[in-house]
Parts: sequence; structure tokens; C-alpha cells
Amino acid sequence: MDCANVREQLRDLVRGRTAPAEASELRRHLSSCDACRHEEAAERLLDEALAARLPRPEAPPSLRREIARRFEPVREEAAAPPRPRRPAARIALASAAAVAALGFAAGRAGQEPVAGARLADELVTDHLRTLASTHPYDVESTSSHEVKPWFEGRLDFAPVVPGDRGELRLLGGAVGYVADRKAAVISYGIRRHRVTLLVFPRGGVLGFENVPAAGAPIRVERRGITVALWGASDLGYALVSDVSPDELGRFADELAPETRRSSR
Amino acid sequence: MVATIRLVHPPGNAPSAGDPLAYLDALYRLARRLARGSAEAEDLVQETYARAFRRGATFTPGTNVRAWLFRVLRNVFLDGRRRQARGLPVDAEADPDQSPGPDAGDGWLRGDAELEHLRGVVGEEIEAALRALPEHARTVVLLDAEGLDEAEIAVALGCPPGTVKSRLHRARAALRAQLAEYRR
Repeated sequence: MDCANVREQLRDLVRGRTAPAEASELRRHLSSCDACRHEEAAERLLDEALAARLPRPEAPPSLRREIARRFEPVREEAAAPPRPRRPAARIALASAAAVAALGFAAGRAGQEPVAGARLADELVTDHLRTLASTHPYDVESTSSHEVKPWFEGRLDFAPVVPGDRGELRLLGGAVGYVADRKAAVISYGIRRHRVTLLVFPRGGVLGFENVPAAGAPIRVERRGITVALWGASDLGYALVSDVSPDELGRFADELAPETRRSSR
Repeated sequence: MVATIRLVHPPGNAPSAGDPLAYLDALYRLARRLARGSAEAEDLVQETYARAFRRGATFTPGTNVRAWLFRVLRNVFLDGRRRQARGLPVDAEADPDQSPGPDAGDGWLRGDAELEHLRGVVGEEIEAALRALPEHARTVVLLDAEGLDEAEIAVALGCPPGTVKSRLHRARAALRAQLAEYRR
């Protein structure tokens, strides 16, 4: 390992992103090379200076308000009841179980976000974009008998389009994308919230490998939005909304068997 | 029974439900360091959200939202500079993958004096040194400082992931060289 090579790797070493074998090789070089050791010290000090001394201005409140007004038309938190906060110990247990089941891991800054976390982010973004759009549906209908046939010819699979149930009202559908493949984007309303159901071919979708094709859906929370995921033969289903996680979970528990029954 | 996990924000620190503004501060910070003043920075951020939430916006599935928003912000900025230059190429700067850049490890920077100086640099000096860098170098340093990883930076810059490591290395070396200027 020559010095030029070592210098490019130093950044990863300082950030703790280096594989153990490579890290020990780098450290061996550092112990015998003054110039590279200096570089490592300078890297750390520069990080420290950037993190601690470079001012980190926050967006002015007026800008935040303006953007919230323009791009967040469905913001009705005030109307929603406050969410119960579960005890920390239960979160830790539930997290461990879900991490084991899904291979999800916390996508903290500075860590490689894993596929599951990226997929959840993408699904949440798809939902938010539907909310922010002034024309969220290509087919606007409250009947699943109109929405389902509309997808024919537009998708190379046949999504199950569940109709109204309880307070959940079908609003319409559109074609979108999940992990680079065409997906059905089906919108529902409940009280003053919106719920998005995304249906896509599950094969090869990173982060979806361990989602159950039978049994209870898996639930993930991102940025205050809940995503429930389940598989039905070769299709993946994701239900996304800012209604309470428990309520969304109940809908997912009801919809999953229906989508599995009807799939080929 | 299903398990619930909160992936990003610890309880009590979560942005409000449905909040597309989670990255607003980070975007604003980069905008401030690209733009010539706070008014231009605010315009950049407004336009970024307008483009990002436009119907049919070209979000690449599988990439992450934060990296994509930074990419949109940078494109908004570069488009604006291009317009000002009336079609002339914006960047008279050399190709960021080709320019040699200073090697901070050799020559004038070596020695405990640099380390001592780095311990003492103040915020204004870092800001000024960043301003003196070419846009691509400034951006890559700031994205790294915001905690984006190499894959995210590649998305934000629209460059191959394999070139991020060396770009970042050169940019940080240039920043240190610039900071060293204030030592004299």
C-alpha cells in the first residue's frame, strides 16, 4: 500500500467505514509513515473544525412557513389526535424483532443505509408526492370495478384493488414507479387523511426479500409516516399513511388476505 | 401482531407526520454556501421544492430522498448560473476528476504547524476558505460534512460513485491549503 493509496482511504478510516482487514493494514502503514500519520491527524482536525466551528444556519421561519404552505397541502396534524408514545423498552424489543425480520437497520447519517431503509424512504416519498400533487389520480373513481380495469394495458401485472371498507374510501389510481418498475398507485381517503396503496412486482426489489408472502404484514415507520408491507404471490403491496400506526396496521391486516385470495 | 420500528428519528425528535420539510435546514445550509446572499439562497430552496414536487419529477427510485433533493438543489443553482452566463459554459473550472489539486501532505503544509493551526481556525475562516474553492469542491466537502455517504454524494453530484472518494480527497486537500493561507 503506497502513500497516495493510503491517503484516499484515510477518509473512510476516520469515518469508521473501513473493513477490519483493510483498517489494520492502514494502521500498519500509519505506524511507520510520519507523513500519512500527519494526514490522518489533519483529517480528524478538519472534521472537528467543520462539525464544531462552521456555522450551521437553519432555514428562516418565514421560508419554512412559505414552503409548508406551498408544498404541503395536506397538513392536518392539528385535527389528528396526539399519538400515544410507547415505552422505550417496547420500542427496543419491537425494533430488534423487526430488524431481524427485515434486515432493516437505522440509516443514521454516516452509515450505509440498507436496502430496506431506502425502500421505505422511497415508498414514503411516493406517498408524499401523491399528497403534494394537484392531480394525484389518472383515473378518478370510487369504484374498484372502474379502477382495476383501468390498469389493464398500463401494467404488466394485475393488482388487486380493494374497495371501500369501514371509513376507508377509494379515491382513484395512477401509474407510478417503485424500484425502477411500474407500480399501481391507489389512493384512499380516511377522515381528513390520505392512504396510498402501492402494488408492484416484488421480484428483485431490494429490501423486500424478507417481507412475508403469508402471515401478518410488516410495519415500518419513517418520518412519522407508517408503511405496512406484505407480499401476495409475486406482487408486493405497501400501504402508506400518516394515520396512527395501529390503525394503518389494522387496515393492512384486513387487506393482505384479500389481495392474497384474489391473486393468481 | 406486527412489529413497529422508528427508523430515523428517536422518539420526541420526529418531525411532524407527513413532513416533507425534514431536509429543509440541510438544503438551506448548502444553498447559503452556494448562493451570493441569503435572498438568493431562499430562492434556490423554494425552486428546489417546486421542482421536487412537480408532477413527474425525475426521482430515481432506489436512491434516497435526501441525496436526490441535494441533486435538485445543485441543478437549480447551476441552471441559474448558466442563465446568467447567457449560454456560456458556467464552469470555467477544470474537470473535477482531472484537476490535480494540491497534495496537502507534502511541502508547505507538512508539520505540526498545520495541525496547530487547524485546532485554532475559526468559523469565519472556514467559511471564507470554502468560498474560495470551486463550486464542485465546496459542494462535495459540505455534503460529506452533512453526513451523506459516498453513494449519496454520487447521486447528489450526478457522478460515478467510484470518483467520489478521490474528489472528496482532493477537495479537502484544497480546503486545507486554503486554510493555510490564513496562517501567514
